Amino acid sequence: MGVSAGGIAPLQGVDAGQSPAREPVIVSKNLTIGYKLHRERKLLTALKDINLTIYKGEFVCLLGPSGCGKTTFINAISGLVPPWEGSIEVDGRPVTGPGPDRGMVFQDYALMPWRTVESNVRMPFEFQDLKLSKAQIDERVARYLELVELTGFEKSFPYELSGGMKQRVGIARALATEPKILLADEPFAAIDAMTREAMQSELERFVTKTRQTVVFITHSIDEAITLGDRIVVISRRPGRIKEVIDVNLPRPRFDQELKSLPEYAEIREHIWRLVKDEALSGAHGDD
Amino acid sequence: MAKIDSNASGSKGAFDDADRIRSMKFSLTDMLDRYGPVWVTVVNLTCFFIIWELFARSGAINQIFLPTASGMFGTMFEGLTNSAPPTAAYSGQIIDHLTYTLRNLSIGLVIACVIGIPAGLLMGGNKYIETILGPYVWALASLPRIALVPLFILFMGFTVKMQITIIVLSAVFPIIINAWAGVKTTEKSLIAAAKVFGAKERDIYLHVVFPYTLPFIISGVQQGIGRGLIGVVIAEIFGGSMGLGFLINRAADTFNSELMYAVLMLLVIVSLSLIKLTSTIEKRVAPWRQQLKM
Ligand SMILES: Nc1ncnc2c1ncn2[C@@H]1O[C@H](COP(=O)(O)OP(=O)(O)OP(=O)(O)O)[C@@H](O)[C@H]1O
Ligand SMILES: [Mg+2]
Repeated sequence: MGVSAGGIAPLQGVDAGQSPAREPVIVSKNLTIGYKLHRERKLLTALKDINLTIYKGEFVCLLGPSGCGKTTFINAISGLVPPWEGSIEVDGRPVTGPGPDRGMVFQDYALMPWRTVESNVRMPFEFQDLKLSKAQIDERVARYLELVELTGFEKSFPYELSGGMKQRVGIARALATEPKILLADEPFAAIDAMTREAMQSELERFVTKTRQTVVFITHSIDEAITLGDRIVVISRRPGRIKEVIDVNLPRPRFDQELKSLPEYAEIREHIWRLVKDEALSGAHGDD
Repeated sequence: MAKIDSNASGSKGAFDDADRIRSMKFSLTDMLDRYGPVWVTVVNLTCFFIIWELFARSGAINQIFLPTASGMFGTMFEGLTNSAPPTAAYSGQIIDHLTYTLRNLSIGLVIACVIGIPAGLLMGGNKYIETILGPYVWALASLPRIALVPLFILFMGFTVKMQITIIVLSAVFPIIINAWAGVKTTEKSLIAAAKVFGAKERDIYLHVVFPYTLPFIISGVQQGIGRGLIGVVIAEIFGGSMGLGFLINRAADTFNSELMYAVLMLLVIVSLSLIKLTSTIEKRVAPWRQQLKM
């Protein structure tokens, strides 16, 4: 938590190419995070020296091998885990804990099993005062359940839903409070290809409209390219930023035959090579 | 999306009949699934009592040790319906002893819950309380409670207070340990989600840890009922002048095997009803747990 300079420090490293006119929202400086392993009495570094600035309204995708620290990174942004070294700032202030400006879709859904679908989506409104009337909250809950196509399942319990449906409840819960920053941990992983495409397009349309800043974890290169303004490729544990790729494809991307564009193929090829190199280097690495 | 849906419903008509037949068959097996066990149990128990009756009548075992099923039920019925007791060797009817035992058991269980649930929750929630109370809880929980009965008789004599103390001590530990385990095992990701969506410390305990722990508490109470029943009967057998345990003792002293078996049967019924009651409560307050059990 040490470093906390007033204002926004000069951008460095991977962000050097970004236009300075844009407003930084999430600033990570030399962020290093690890975990204590009680059983083995040792420390494990999950993320190492992450320097990244994410701007307002930007859609950033995190891509990297399993266990490289992607979830750890967005947990740091949400304030669930503190930095070991370096700092993480949101809106110019060091993160000290969760806040209503950040919503999160959890990788393992994390729905309260004793709450119905509707009540799970309503939960954030119960815990924090967002200055909304009861009717406004009802309207929000209904609207976001409709967005994820769960109308009719309001009274179901999570155990009565499929994995993909649970994940959609998690998405509705994160969106319903309309946070400035949306942190999404593989939100479409459990959803079938057809529905996934519909939801990706829905999400693109949605965040373009709301100008939300999105940090989106995925394992799919295609998903990263179709959704992201920038793609951050993270190396194996301890996770470092391997490369940040700008995706300058026009939006909305779902209205066109994106995959037939030469730029698309180029980016895809480039990322695929990065990911493959990473996988191969890891296979012989000592970790 | 809509396109796919309409395709699916368009082709559905062709399968309507097949679907209906399948659902009819399904509903038959469904009925069997639902009501089958009840009938099997009824037939099963009927057979059991008939065989018992025949076996007891055959004289293979002296009726002092094994009464007829009909004799046992007769005694039970008479004792419960307040008619004259079959023998005058003990005071009051079975019903009086039953209500006495049940009253003590209920008082003991309520006290055990009032002490055990908060104690378990506190131990799970606070490291210091856990470290301090933990050794005592484990020590007392692993000590056979029967061993304490003579001590309490020494302290309090053959009083209701002594009996209730034994019930409480028997029932409280499973309740504490289950509540404690519930708090400790609360899924970290649920707590994380609550925090992200603005839960304060208090909300986390009230809206995550407690609901998560509730089914654990209920199964603790369920175990507590079983232990408490053992405790109350033992306390009454050791000493006292009322209760089902006393009645068993008295029946043995007077060679009244019908009464003895009637009381044993009643204990089974009481125990099963209480367990059924708690699992019904569990189904009501924690429906999501059902799916884990099946
Ligand atoms: N609570 C924890 N305690 C100990 N180690 C942890 C904990 N959470 C994560 N780790 C370790 O930190 C590393 C990074 O974990 P993280 O969950 O951030 O990975 P990830 O990139 O999200 O992986 P995946 O794609 O599989 O979800 C892993 O090696 C994991 O073993
Ligand atoms: Mg992860």
